[in-house]
Amino acid sequence: MRVLIRSFILVFACIPLVCGQGYKAPRMADGHANLNGIYEAVNTANWNLQDHPAYAGPMWEMGAIAAVPAGKGVVEGNEIPYKPEAAAKKKANFANRRADDPEAKCYMPGIPRANYMPYPFQIVQTNKDILFVYEYASSNRLVNMGKPMEAPSDTWMGTNNGHWEGDTLVIDVTGLNGLAWFDRAGNFGTDKLHIVERWNLTDHDHLNYQATIEDPSVYTRAWKISMPIYRRVEKDAQLLEFKCTEFAEQLLYGKYTKGAGGGQK
Amino acid sequence: MRVVVAGFLLAALATAQSYTPPKTPWGDPDLQGVWPGNMGVPMQRPANFGERATLTEDEFAKKQEQAKRQASADAESTAASDSKAGIGPPSYWVERGKPTKQASLIVDPPDGRLPPLTPEAQKYRKEAKLPGAWGGKADSPADLNIYYRCITRGLLGSIIPVVYNNGNQILQAPGYVVFRNEMIHESRVIPLDGRPHAGSDIRLYMGDSRGHWEGSTLVVETTNFTDKDAIGSNGAGYPGDPGYHSDQMKIVEKFTRTGPKTLEYRATVIDPKTWTKPWTMLIQLDRNDDYQIIEYACHEGNYAMTDILSGARAGEQK
Repeated sequence: MRVLIRSFILVFACIPLVCGQGYKAPRMADGHANLNGIYEAVNTANWNLQDHPAYAGPMWEMGAIAAVPAGKGVVEGNEIPYKPEAAAKKKANFANRRADDPEAKCYMPGIPRANYMPYPFQIVQTNKDILFVYEYASSNRLVNMGKPMEAPSDTWMGTNNGHWEGDTLVIDVTGLNGLAWFDRAGNFGTDKLHIVERWNLTDHDHLNYQATIEDPSVYTRAWKISMPIYRRVEKDAQLLEFKCTEFAEQLLYGKYTKGAGGGQK
Repeated sequence: MRVVVAGFLLAALATAQSYTPPKTPWGDPDLQGVWPGNMGVPMQRPANFGERATLTEDEFAKKQEQAKRQASADAESTAASDSKAGIGPPSYWVERGKPTKQASLIVDPPDGRLPPLTPEAQKYRKEAKLPGAWGGKADSPADLNIYYRCITRGLLGSIIPVVYNNGNQILQAPGYVVFRNEMIHESRVIPLDGRPHAGSDIRLYMGDSRGHWEGSTLVVETTNFTDKDAIGSNGAGYPGDPGYHSDQMKIVEKFTRTGPKTLEYRATVIDPKTWTKPWTMLIQLDRNDDYQIIEYACHEGNYAMTDILSGARAGEQK
């Protein structure tokens, strides 16, 4: 009986990668897999990429609302291979996250963070290029599917060159300014980041997302994150606005407002 | 005479409709491409033009001459030499546009000027403490207009050309059109499936857009606006008026390709709480395949806000 159950599991257990290969995604007219849709991650990566128990948030005034839910990490092997000085900076980032996290300031989230923030995003796959539109901070990035181009300038959302490997969209991201963080725990890279993302549908409503992250200035080796990202299946799903600048003005400029005793930078 | 007039009207209609754009692989008219805005056409027409919507040859020649002089002045100066320019960019950054014969962006009413305000809107403009531009009160960020605050320029402001970064891009996917604006970075995703608007408690700076095709023209109706921004090139009004609209505003946009590299953009503003009549803007766009839209990180680089506020505080201590 035990043998029977085991083989049953073997037959029906679904290893994500294998499942993905079995699924034949709907096609665009050009024959490529059609990734169009509105998606959102359901995990705790935006709080902390790594395994973590629940812990208190940086604002006791918010009580349990600002506390961090426990979560299984999305980092392969759970280790981010920081060099010693970078590990110290990550620790300092965590300690100062209430004021220093670029998310608190409503700055553009950068890559990879944009993809697993608790806001929906839309993939707009044309017959040529592919636009990622993120609800958070109206950020967006155009993935150039033509001849790869060099980054004209460092930016928050990077220079994105894409190509297809079968049904997997592979995006090579360079030209990141390194000012964005990866999560609210202070994980970070620099303007030397090179990220290779892989996106493929494992069934109609799930994207498999993987990113390989390299930055020889802060890590001893390349490391990898992966997670499923879910289609927002509501019939009337749409991106709304999260133009958060106005929510961050008091944090950023409060000390310069009249009556705050400001005037000093 | 009537025959001549009718013929003229037909010809006018034909110019807008005679071009049949290519189709996307899924069968929609293809409007895709980068269509940067062109500076230089005033929003409202000078009153002495009356109902004349285009410049005479003489006026156009003068405008071209002026543009030439400006271009050589721009090339010579490497930084803003006028101290009053303050936080403005060096002149060689500034786009001046290619001169055209269009006398004003507003084409209806026929005099090219905004229709009169309703009494309610007049009262609001007089009594409300509306945020101004730099140089005015700066007690807190809320005293500055939303362009200075890098929040948005609003739906219409985002397409009215300004000093630089006037890129507009249209992208299409089955069931969607996206209108992307470089300045401040907007990507307005417009569903084409006829779904109803979002509930009326959902208010958006860029509004809630729904599109459909009328022949080869994309027609987009947008509602659910906030009343916190204003219509004007800088999201903060047009010369002489703060440009505030109500949250009852509806905008109907029409995107029509008139040739392989030309697109006519019309937007009709219907806001009976603010203007006594609807009014329409016309913006002619030329496709530029070499134009690369670059990320405009406005808020992230908003040193002006810190400087304006801390400067105002320092001034109070004198």
